[in-house]
Amino acid sequence: MTMLKVRGVSRRFGGLTAVDDVSFDVHEGQIKALIGPNGAGKSTLFNCVTGFDTPHEGSVEFKGQQLVGRRPQVAVQMGLARTFQNTQLFDEMTAHENVMVGAAARHAAGFFAAALRLPTALAQEQEAAATASRLLRRTGIEEWADTFAADLPAGIRRLVEIARALATDPSMVLLDEPAAGLNATETAELVETLRRIRDDGVTVLVVEHDMGLVMEVSDEILVLDRGKKIAEGPPRMIQKDPLVIAAYLGEESDDG
Amino acid sequence: MRTVRALAPYLVAIVVAAGPFLTDDRFLLKVLTFVGLNALVIVGLALLFGFAGQVSLGHAAFVGLGAYASAVCSVRFGWPWIVGFIAAGSLAALGGLILALPSLRLKGHYLAMATLGFGELASLAFVEAEPVTGGVDGFSGIPFPSIGGFEFREPAALYWLVWAIVGIAVLLATNLTALRPGRAMRALHGSELGALASGVDTTGIKVRVFVLSATLAGLAGALYASVVGFVSPSVFTVGSSVTFLAMAVIGGTGSLAGPLVAATALTLVQYLDALIPGISRDTARIVQSFQEDVYGMSIVLVVLLAPRGVSGLLKRLGSVGRP
Ligand SMILES: Nc1ncnc2c1ncn2[C@@H]1O[C@H](COP(=O)(O)OP(=O)(O)O)[C@@H](O)[C@H]1O
Ligand SMILES: [Mg+2]
Repeated sequence: MTMLKVRGVSRRFGGLTAVDDVSFDVHEGQIKALIGPNGAGKSTLFNCVTGFDTPHEGSVEFKGQQLVGRRPQVAVQMGLARTFQNTQLFDEMTAHENVMVGAAARHAAGFFAAALRLPTALAQEQEAAATASRLLRRTGIEEWADTFAADLPAGIRRLVEIARALATDPSMVLLDEPAAGLNATETAELVETLRRIRDDGVTVLVVEHDMGLVMEVSDEILVLDRGKKIAEGPPRMIQKDPLVIAAYLGEESDDG
Repeated sequence: MRTVRALAPYLVAIVVAAGPFLTDDRFLLKVLTFVGLNALVIVGLALLFGFAGQVSLGHAAFVGLGAYASAVCSVRFGWPWIVGFIAAGSLAALGGLILALPSLRLKGHYLAMATLGFGELASLAFVEAEPVTGGVDGFSGIPFPSIGGFEFREPAALYWLVWAIVGIAVLLATNLTALRPGRAMRALHGSELGALASGVDTTGIKVRVFVLSATLAGLAGALYASVVGFVSPSVFTVGSSVTFLAMAVIGGTGSLAGPLVAATALTLVQYLDALIPGISRDTARIVQSFQEDVYGMSIVLVVLLAPRGVSGLLKRLGSVGRP
């Protein structure tokens, strides 16, 4: 089944076309990687898909429903969760509380029920707390549960954000550079975490720079360069694609 | 240490409830009743500013709205006090909703600006709408609160009525902050993007908190009108809104107790010369003028550093003494 269907999405910033007529599918149960040099438009594409930004053209269908024009929290409630390249944690809350916010994504606002401590509010509270604990365990960071997010090491912050996304009970997660700031051990653990996420039945679209990680973990790779899709296919094929090689070599010579 | 902390709210509640037994000074009880009225406003502002991170420069206008509404209901319409009290809260809630919906849909400091404009407009309207409000002369002859035939006319009775309502508000607000809505508020304060990505309806939460805080201000206004028996437009100025905001800012974020302590202290300072016998007029005046500087300074900090800067600072200061 097609989980996410992106068709002809374009997003411009003034004269710059950050995402240029991009189309692709993500199938249920896949880990798909989105790669490309810095500034290729990966994060912008993520924003357009998750309702944080609105594309100028194109459509985004998630589980058969149109997403363009919907607010981000609606996408979350439909089962599409995400993380950010610059982690967006709630610094003055503990890791456990951070994940609890995600766990309550589908609960009612409940001002009234909470103020009066109605049984429904208390039951949802317990459920959210249990979900948060389970996901901190699942991502292997339960020992950080009571640490304030502001005091967490960068690698753990990434995992807390992933746990928070998973706590919303998504069918699909979009992870924007989850390995950035991680050391080698943590990156290896992240590969395991991504596989575990997929095995739990959650489809994954991941932006990643670490080619080793991408080749190892992904079922399919989508390559963007200067806003355009330049290649799409299984890792073995992408590795040999002359356009991809050129794009990455180009980036290296730019840096040097 | 832990038990002291857990018991503190109960001890405070007992002391507050025992107030009229501890003093029979009618003036002091009046002042403490005013502390309660400000506390009621500050419970709402603590949620709005300290938890949801939103700035209001117009809450005195909601107090005014509530005060005039209850005055009109009891004097002009002859309705029972409780009906006017509820009408005052409802009107303030409606005003809050009308103000919050459009300004909170936009990003940035639109709410602060909208509330400032509303505050200015309302204080003009209180003067200009003379047939309803009595204009500059104010609205007089407002009856004491009464419920089911019992009239709260003694200072002790008024004290208990006001503080009972404060107690209920604090209790409900405490429940609210301890559960999901409180987390959602702190979340959107911490990172709006993160909150949205966690499925939090950030606009919905802000609107709800704003309406709640406006309602509490309206109820405080209704109580104020019937406690004093007279409403003057000079009380509901932007200056008063700034004082309220200063209480919330100085009180610190993520807490109800801090702003309540600040509200108590800053209200008592206004009556310093009357409360401390023997204190010279000049000494009182110096302290009171210093207080104005504190208000000004805290607001400048909000404007310059943005609410988060100040709240972060306060949080750090607050955690210094923690075990
Ligand atoms: N809000 C914005 N305003 C203007 N330009 C932007 C904005 N966001 C991204 N861009 C530009 O769009 C291009 C793509 O950026 P981005 O999507 O962040 O790339 P990537 O995530 O692939 O590194 C870059 O050239 C970037 O400067
Ligand atoms: Mg990016």
